[in-house]
Amino acid sequence: MVVDLIDVTPFLTWLFGPGWTEGFLFHTLPLSVFLLVMLGGLVWLVRAIRAKEGLTSPTVGVWISVTLTAAILVLLIGLTVWKSLPAETTASISAKFVQPLGWLLGNQWYAGAAYQWLKTAIGATGLVFATALLILALRRGPREAFVVTGQSLGDTVLDVLRMSPRRVAALALLAVKESIRRRVVVVFALFILLLLFAGWYLDPQSVDPARLYLDFVLTATTYLVLLLALFISALSLPADIKNRTLYTIVTKPVRTSEIILGRILGFLTVATVLLVAMGGISYLFVLRGLAHEHELTADLLQPAEGTKAEKDAKQIALRGATSRVHHHRHKVTITPDASGAGIVERETQPEQGHVHPIKVRTEGNQTAYEIGREQGMLLARVPVYGKLSFRDRTGQPTEKGISVGDEWTYRSYIEGGTLAAAVWSFEGLRSEDFPEHLPVELSIEIFRTYKGNIEKGILGSLSVRNPKTGKKVEVRFFEGKEFVIDVQQIPRRLSTPDGKTVDLFKDMVDEGKLEVWLQCAEPMQYFGVAQGDLYLRARDASFFLNFVKGYVGIWLQTAIVIALGVLFSTFLSAPVAVLATLGAIFGGFFSDFMYRLATGKTYGGGPFESIIRLVTQANVTSELEPGLRTNVAKTLDQIVEFGMRLLASVLPDFSRFNFAEFVASGFNIPGDTLMAYTCRTLGFVIPIFVAAYLCLKNREVAQ
Amino acid sequence: MQSDVIIETRNLTKVYRDFWGRKKVHALKALDLEVRRGEIFGLLGPNGSGKTTTIKLILGLLFPTAGQALVFDRDASDVSKNERIGYLPEESYLYKFLNAEETLDFYGRLFDIPRAVRRQRVADLIEMVGLNWAKRRQLKEYSKGMTRRIGLAQALINDPELIVLDEPTSGLDPMGTREMKDLILKLREEGKTVLMCSHLLADVQDVCDRIAILYQGELKEMGRVDSLLKVRDVTEIRASGLSAVAQEEIRQAIERHQGQVLSLDNPVTTLEDLFVNIIRESEEHPGRRVRGVSQK
Repeated sequence: MVVDLIDVTPFLTWLFGPGWTEGFLFHTLPLSVFLLVMLGGLVWLVRAIRAKEGLTSPTVGVWISVTLTAAILVLLIGLTVWKSLPAETTASISAKFVQPLGWLLGNQWYAGAAYQWLKTAIGATGLVFATALLILALRRGPREAFVVTGQSLGDTVLDVLRMSPRRVAALALLAVKESIRRRVVVVFALFILLLLFAGWYLDPQSVDPARLYLDFVLTATTYLVLLLALFISALSLPADIKNRTLYTIVTKPVRTSEIILGRILGFLTVATVLLVAMGGISYLFVLRGLAHEHELTADLLQPAEGTKAEKDAKQIALRGATSRVHHHRHKVTITPDASGAGIVERETQPEQGHVHPIKVRTEGNQTAYEIGREQGMLLARVPVYGKLSFRDRTGQPTEKGISVGDEWTYRSYIEGGTLAAAVWSFEGLRSEDFPEHLPVELSIEIFRTYKGNIEKGILGSLSVRNPKTGKKVEVRFFEGKEFVIDVQQIPRRLSTPDGKTVDLFKDMVDEGKLEVWLQCAEPMQYFGVAQGDLYLRARDASFFLNFVKGYVGIWLQTAIVIALGVLFSTFLSAPVAVLATLGAIFGGFFSDFMYRLATGKTYGGGPFESIIRLVTQANVTSELEPGLRTNVAKTLDQIVEFGMRLLASVLPDFSRFNFAEFVASGFNIPGDTLMAYTCRTLGFVIPIFVAAYLCLKNREVAQ
Repeated sequence: MQSDVIIETRNLTKVYRDFWGRKKVHALKALDLEVRRGEIFGLLGPNGSGKTTTIKLILGLLFPTAGQALVFDRDASDVSKNERIGYLPEESYLYKFLNAEETLDFYGRLFDIPRAVRRQRVADLIEMVGLNWAKRRQLKEYSKGMTRRIGLAQALINDPELIVLDEPTSGLDPMGTREMKDLILKLREEGKTVLMCSHLLADVQDVCDRIAILYQGELKEMGRVDSLLKVRDVTEIRASGLSAVAQEEIRQAIERHQGQVLSLDNPVTTLEDLFVNIIRESEEHPGRRVRGVSQK
């Protein structure tokens, strides 16, 4: 379970690129030594600096400034020269440069997040330094600017390293007390109230009530906690400055870094406690809201039609449906076993995404049916995804299927009754993972060119193919339905049309590789598919853990919001800080859209071009008339787009931190995704912390 | 060996600017000050003369426009100097949702004082400022005088060498004022240095060793209180048990020596002394006080 939660392998791949396993550093011994040396060095450095008193001297300040300036100049000149070199030269140089590191870090270390992070950190430091130097040079002259900038950079490092845990804890505790005083509990009461009345507007007849319930509790929790985090973090510091309580804090030996960190940690504690409480209650709410049992009595069952011989042998199946509970009933088929004496224990037919186990008890002439509690409602499926490719109607490989004119280009379509197919190639399949059969789940979209029998689905077929030998076996025909997850099972033993049986893993899987083909069987009808639409359901993870992971996602978002709130409150007044944080959150939610807009991936151009289109009532896809007006608009747009691109790359992309969709639709949140986003959160919080530190440090508290 | 100069300001200047960087107020003009170990130094001046600005610059709450403020030979922007400073702001800016014990404990933590020491010191200080009966009450329920006392207690939590008091007696009743002044004198006896600012001249006169008088941001006068206030060409004679005849004789004697009699009268006590005496008397003999109350 722990291994599932923290899956190290994909995480390291994310961090150091796919080739990390080949790096010398990642063998157990060198890695332990490396980590120990790093840790020891860090401890030594911190202790050495904490033992020393005083601030950065002017001499050291000058040294820092000179070194940094030189580094920036070398980097800038180097980059300029690099870009002007011919491609072959740069390739050979980079090969020379990359290979020795490849021995240590794996051959694709530059593709990993660690390198990107390092690059960003160096860039950000350089930018901050250059900006500070420029501003100070304009205000106090270049000589003093050099000394002061270097000194304050040195002081920043000293300040952070000299933080006292006791002071940080005291300030965090104060933040907690302040939040309690601001009646955080009200938010919790509001949440309970929301749950109490939730029954009124959660549609009980929904196809997937689990999804509805989970979606509701996760969304409600996210918005409430994020709003709360926003207010408590953005209002605190301005209130302290206004009440001048900050005077009595900063005249104690309290470092600016401690004030910022204490606050972030304190508010995070409040949010954590609140999230745990809300999560616990939500979990019970979902469990209780979905729990139900049906009844099945003999009079609800009818014998199915059968031959006379079967009737005599009492081998007729009984068909019917359970009692109606929670606005649905399950169809049941009860088949007597071969002897006719007992009855096979079975499950009900699925309805609203779940089944119930049936137990049959026969005492003399009386038969009693016991229907158990719902099963399979709350899931955490662990899907194995394949790579999707297409075959056109003549069976030739093609990059994409057919477009049916859908604006949303997520799915691509295959034509029915032809050789067109969607092919998913899977890798790394092991027979011991699938002892009985290969469970395949698919959800497709159907595009009908004629109505046909609308009650019935469109027929499709599923086949498997050995990618090496090219041997292809049809598994089964099925009725394709929309908007539901269709569960198909590929048995271990398959029968070919010529009457032979083949073993799935022996004959069809080659070195763990297998292709699954989907074809539409009805002419003039189309199946729409995307890569994520068909997957192998390897196993189920614990739903509870998945639920917890969903809340961890909310927690990560909260951490960013709190950090942002504290940052803005260091230099803005309370209402403005709230608005700025809110703006950053909204911007973050739409940063994806902003990026697409800024890079010209949306129709209609930037704001100025759009205005022209609005006024002239031009279609978003039509070309604008060339001329001065269009040129001016496009140039202005380019300036705006540059700003938007900058903003979009700086703002946290909240929409991607939202794991609610995973939990609600019953998919396991992959451990490495969670780790990656934890790192991402740190990647946001650390620079925000530094920015907040610099803002507060250089602010006159008493003005 | 530590130097005897605790606070030193060199050419300390502060100009307040508005949002656009335009000059608004020239709050402090090139101040040079020195506060030495073990003395009570008073900053004196009318409202808006730059007293509080000076104190804020010395504490690092404001940054100087020019010049430098050094405390314990360290720049005012160095937070480590705060280890040895206690500061009582003009009004006690404390967290209203904490009670007295929590407040002192919180500030104690900010000085990184270990738990056991902290607990002892918190108890001692609450005892000293006489708030034992109210130590569990939230500060929002405190009267102004009580807030002031707890403010003073938080300023002393680290047993500081330098105590900075901004209008220490403002908002206090006469008894409180007297107690505050006694306490300041007691702090000096303990060898601590006190920097205070006030516009209540009587308070400054009673406790300060040296004063600086500021007006419109400029230093107008600085020196020892006794030497500044000594009026050299006037002689004061105080005596008791003199008859009217004897008084007349003295008057004639003065005139004989070409002196000029300015006043010869029964002295009047200060209102503060009267008030303090009455209160002390009442505490000793509770009940209705007859003498001095006018009879209708």
